[in-house]
Amino acid sequence: MANQREYPRAKEGSNIGKIVVDRDLCIGAASCVAVSPATFELDGENKAVAIGPNAADDETVKMAAQSCPTKAILLFDKDGKQIYP
Amino acid sequence: MTQFKYLIIGGGVAGTTAAETIKQNDPSGSIAIVSDEPHVFYSRIMLSKPIFFLEKIPFEQVYLKNETWYKERNIAFLGGKTAVGMNAEEKTVSLDDGAVLQYEKLLLAIGGYPRKWDPQKIQGSDKKGVCYLRTLEDAKKIIEGVKTAKSAVCVGGGFVSFEACELLRMKNIDTTLLIMEPHYWANVWDETSGLIVEEYLRQGGVNVLKNEEVEKVFGADRVESVRTKSGKDIPCQMVVVGIGLTFPVGPFKDCMDCGHGIKTNEYLETNALDVWAAGDAVEFYDVAVGESVQLGNWVNAQVQGRVAGLNMLGKKQPFRMVSFYTTQGFGLSIAFVGDIRPLPDRTVITRGSRESKSYGRLILKDKELVGATLLNRTPEMAPISKLIEKDVDLSAHHAELADPNFDLKMLILS
Repeated sequence: MANQREYPRAKEGSNIGKIVVDRDLCIGAASCVAVSPATFELDGENKAVAIGPNAADDETVKMAAQSCPTKAILLFDKDGKQIYP
Repeated sequence: MTQFKYLIIGGGVAGTTAAETIKQNDPSGSIAIVSDEPHVFYSRIMLSKPIFFLEKIPFEQVYLKNETWYKERNIAFLGGKTAVGMNAEEKTVSLDDGAVLQYEKLLLAIGGYPRKWDPQKIQGSDKKGVCYLRTLEDAKKIIEGVKTAKSAVCVGGGFVSFEACELLRMKNIDTTLLIMEPHYWANVWDETSGLIVEEYLRQGGVNVLKNEEVEKVFGADRVESVRTKSGKDIPCQMVVVGIGLTFPVGPFKDCMDCGHGIKTNEYLETNALDVWAAGDAVEFYDVAVGESVQLGNWVNAQVQGRVAGLNMLGKKQPFRMVSFYTTQGFGLSIAFVGDIRPLPDRTVITRGSRESKSYGRLILKDKELVGATLLNRTPEMAPISKLIEKDVDLSAHHAELADPNFDLKMLILS
């Protein structure tokens, strides 16, 4: 799908190099916000945006992605390989 | 009799998240999930969303777990079975197929079910084409229905109707919405909020009729039209009914305190020994407001599932969260944050206006914010959640709260 927004992650020691939100899939359930409000917020269109891609540890970012009911959050490692979902 | 260390009634988001949490911490503990649906865990929240309904994504994407997931974790999934009885002394739950399951620890994550019309009271309401939305089967019926329907009637003023109206209009179906109340969602918020939603619905081509109810449904086998209380006949091939929820507490209510739902303390523990509850059917003691609260939304059920799972493992963890629910349709964003019940001891401060189509209601109890409803103001969800969480004393800031241009983030810093 085309409507994806990418958020590079530069946190030291992290295995996640990039967070991607698929805005076509996102329905604004806000489960990612509930898991990690430091990383995610909803914008004016009720879509998740990564306001702090470096704010949380890997475990929390993974949990936030896994909590999404439409699998709209994709995670990539430092080599650009998709690690979730 | 089959025995399980952990028995979970309900295969939705609360039950599945609890099972996942338990297995992460106690991999060898035996566990079973009983679900009255045959399907493995799927995204119920997606069922009413256009991307799913208009089949813009593969149908399979609705499933959030597959059978391998259960097998790998050694979680017994007992699908298509309904709990019909419970014995708290013997610690058993009986199912509709005659099986009796014994538990050491039990979680009731039984969910909410759409309230249905009684054909005795509304004649013809059991005809084909009268739809409710809870399960995958319900969704499939609606997906099929919208392919041929020329006109449809939605009933009820809530999230279900709002989302149903949008998908019907996306399919260019003539849509009439019947609301019993004088304005949209009158039992939840004020007239201004209701009128803004109605404006968007009308602009989107929905014929909104207020103070109206269906009196009779006509048609041979399938619905062909409905007659309203005021005597209007509306032709339609589909009726989507969203008039609230009921909670199937029947099999459990003799074993524990139940009201509308199942009552728990802040640890999601019921007053029956070794029994917890999570999700839409729970009336939990909310430490944030000091009251018993029932919430029906995805994120609440998910977090409650996690917390109940931890408590079943023996970790004493209170449930406390600011919950959210949002939807979007016809170009309007709606967001609910925290506890939005319009109780007599609440003070409501409004920001924005009907004219600007940007309108928020901040709900305070004593000096603190407890909830908010937001129309086209979703970005305020984040600062509002923080203000609720941090119990910020806002008694000196009512003027700022009422100013729609004031940045609420400023109050967190002060």
